[in-house]
Amino acid sequence: MKAGLFIATTLLYALACVLYLFLLTRGSDKAQRLPGTVFVTALGAHLAFLLLETPPPGELPLADISQILSLSSFGLGIAFLLASYRFDVTILGAFVAPLSLMLFLASGLGSNYAPVSPGVQSLMLTLHIGANVLGLIAFALAFAAGVAYMLQDRLLRRRQLSGVFQRLPSLDVLDTMGLRSVLVGFPLLTFGMVTGTFWLLRSGGSEFYVSQALGLVAWAIFASVIVLRVAAGWQGRKAALGTMLGFLFTLLVLAGYALRAVGGSA
Amino acid sequence: MRDFIVVGLSHRTAPVEVRERLAVPSDRLEQELREIAASGRFDEALLISTCNRVELYATSTNPIAASQVARDELARRLPASASEDVLYQERGVAVVRHAFRVASSLDSLVVGEPQILGQVKEAFDAAKGAGTMGTLLGRCFTQAFATAKRVRNETGIAEGTVSVSSIACELAKKIFGNLEGRRTLLLGAGEMGESAARSLRQTGTNLHVINRSEDRARALADSCGGRAVPYERLAVELADADVVIASTASPKFILTPELMKTVGRSRRHRPLFIIDIAVPRDVDPRVGNMDNVFVYDVDDLQQVAEENLAERTREAALAELIVEEELDAFLSWRRSLQLAPTIVALRKRFGQIAEEEMQRTLPRLEGLSESDRSVLEAMSRSMVNKLLHEPMTQLKAGAGEPDGPLLIDAVRRLFAISEQEPSKRDASTEDGPEAKVTQLAAAGTGSTGESK
Repeated sequence: MKAGLFIATTLLYALACVLYLFLLTRGSDKAQRLPGTVFVTALGAHLAFLLLETPPPGELPLADISQILSLSSFGLGIAFLLASYRFDVTILGAFVAPLSLMLFLASGLGSNYAPVSPGVQSLMLTLHIGANVLGLIAFALAFAAGVAYMLQDRLLRRRQLSGVFQRLPSLDVLDTMGLRSVLVGFPLLTFGMVTGTFWLLRSGGSEFYVSQALGLVAWAIFASVIVLRVAAGWQGRKAALGTMLGFLFTLLVLAGYALRAVGGSA
Repeated sequence: MRDFIVVGLSHRTAPVEVRERLAVPSDRLEQELREIAASGRFDEALLISTCNRVELYATSTNPIAASQVARDELARRLPASASEDVLYQERGVAVVRHAFRVASSLDSLVVGEPQILGQVKEAFDAAKGAGTMGTLLGRCFTQAFATAKRVRNETGIAEGTVSVSSIACELAKKIFGNLEGRRTLLLGAGEMGESAARSLRQTGTNLHVINRSEDRARALADSCGGRAVPYERLAVELADADVVIASTASPKFILTPELMKTVGRSRRHRPLFIIDIAVPRDVDPRVGNMDNVFVYDVDDLQQVAEENLAERTREAALAELIVEEELDAFLSWRRSLQLAPTIVALRKRFGQIAEEEMQRTLPRLEGLSESDRSVLEAMSRSMVNKLLHEPMTQLKAGAGEPDGPLLIDAVRRLFAISEQEPSKRDASTEDGPEAKVTQLAAAGTGSTGESK
């Protein structure tokens, strides 16, 4: 049952990716809503999968890297639906759906990850992980907007104005979406880092050096993007590049944890 | 039997001085149609009048005489200088095809432009209002609207802008999203720059006009609803602008990288869209390499226009296929209006019902002899004949009248006789007076060319 649901969800996400990409590159007047429908269906299957996964009472949720990845993927889908309602950017599914699929697949690989040992679980840890998952989701949206921005900027400069250029949103919308997502994600990331540090100090652990360092780099990148945007009026290409770089570092942090978890179980 | 005619002129045959003499304002269409119908030569009439075409569509039982009357009617209004050659005329199925193509914007000056459908609908309503719309023209134009809708939905004929000004606007929208409250700076007083500025003004941007001659700037600003600004303020204006349209007559670059760098400091990275319409160019190409600055010159815009136009032409070929499909559907409806197949189908339908009822009833009657059966069968046949006698007589008498097709159409609808059925029996009923139309169709379906 669980395996079947996992495969079904994966296939639905993959189908949504293909359909979104097809809509972006080929366009279609008739099947405008089809990719979105498939994506929502994938989210439905994912929700069912998450409900099956619910940890037994007494055990804190979110302790397992696999659950973290799965929940991030699901949250990204929901956040994207909200964002596309707010900004009318349905077509960005072409960039968001692959991210969702990637995170979900990664969560599947981690089915044999060892959960954090019950001894080190605490409310602080849950807060730390929760805030970081939400931050990751916000940054993923900013990343998708950034990718679309870079693409639009490039197409505009190369005078390739038919097709994809017509179907993607305007530079202004993409820039605004990127800025707002970072503004939402940054406080969450900050909170996540503070709680994480507290938890580390309390539990006396000191094995997260690399992840901490990477996390700090990501934090610094987002901090400079925000400072430059707000204080120096940065916008457009450089801001999009900075945002994308920051997101890649947050992914690295996540990958660091995942690798450590695998190492721990080995 | 009635047939279609059209007489008219369009951008293909007549210059604007001639077209404007014949144009009828939309509020006078009904009146005009009543006058035309008063000649008594037309059974139905419909007048399309736009700035690119004036066409009189009609049906008549004597189409040859009627097209002469229509031609004279239009020729009378031509200016003395124009020859009658600007008028074209068509009869039969070519008229229907022409109507479909006009409504689908395949015959327009700018192929795919959307206004024509509304104008044809206006003409349709006027003809209804004037009482000159009957079965044939009614069906022809209703189907023309359906064709236009299919063409719009199934082909990309209306996609992509094809004028330089509107391309500039679309690009600005793709950069700034909402243009409301953005600032356009018009630099110089070239004609093309002015038209681009007007288009942008219509989308809700504020317009500032800057020119070496301040009088010229003021005149231009007044006519476009903008504000004139002294030339010395160029750097300040550049810093505040979102879109710059450069169309000065200056032989040297005005927007140099040095100037733009100074300006850039106070712009704080806001995107800037520069449209360089001037020849020679006003904007140093290096400006286009700056971050968040997008420079398009007149060649770039022209190229987009041409690509879009080429795309429309490709799509127009698809649209012509749709027109032919719809034309086939129309012709098969037209054929269904022939008397003979209708009578055959009606008899068949009644006979079928009688037969079915007999088959159902006979098994339930017991002890019937062979002769009883034949009496019953004879009775049912005679009932069918008696029931059909009066409708048949009326139908045969009415079919020759001007509204004959209407009568036949009514009968077909009342007894649910489908349109496809008679077309299969075409071979046997070809000798009807409508055969001429059918032949024209067969000859005409091969060519998708413009009816001249």
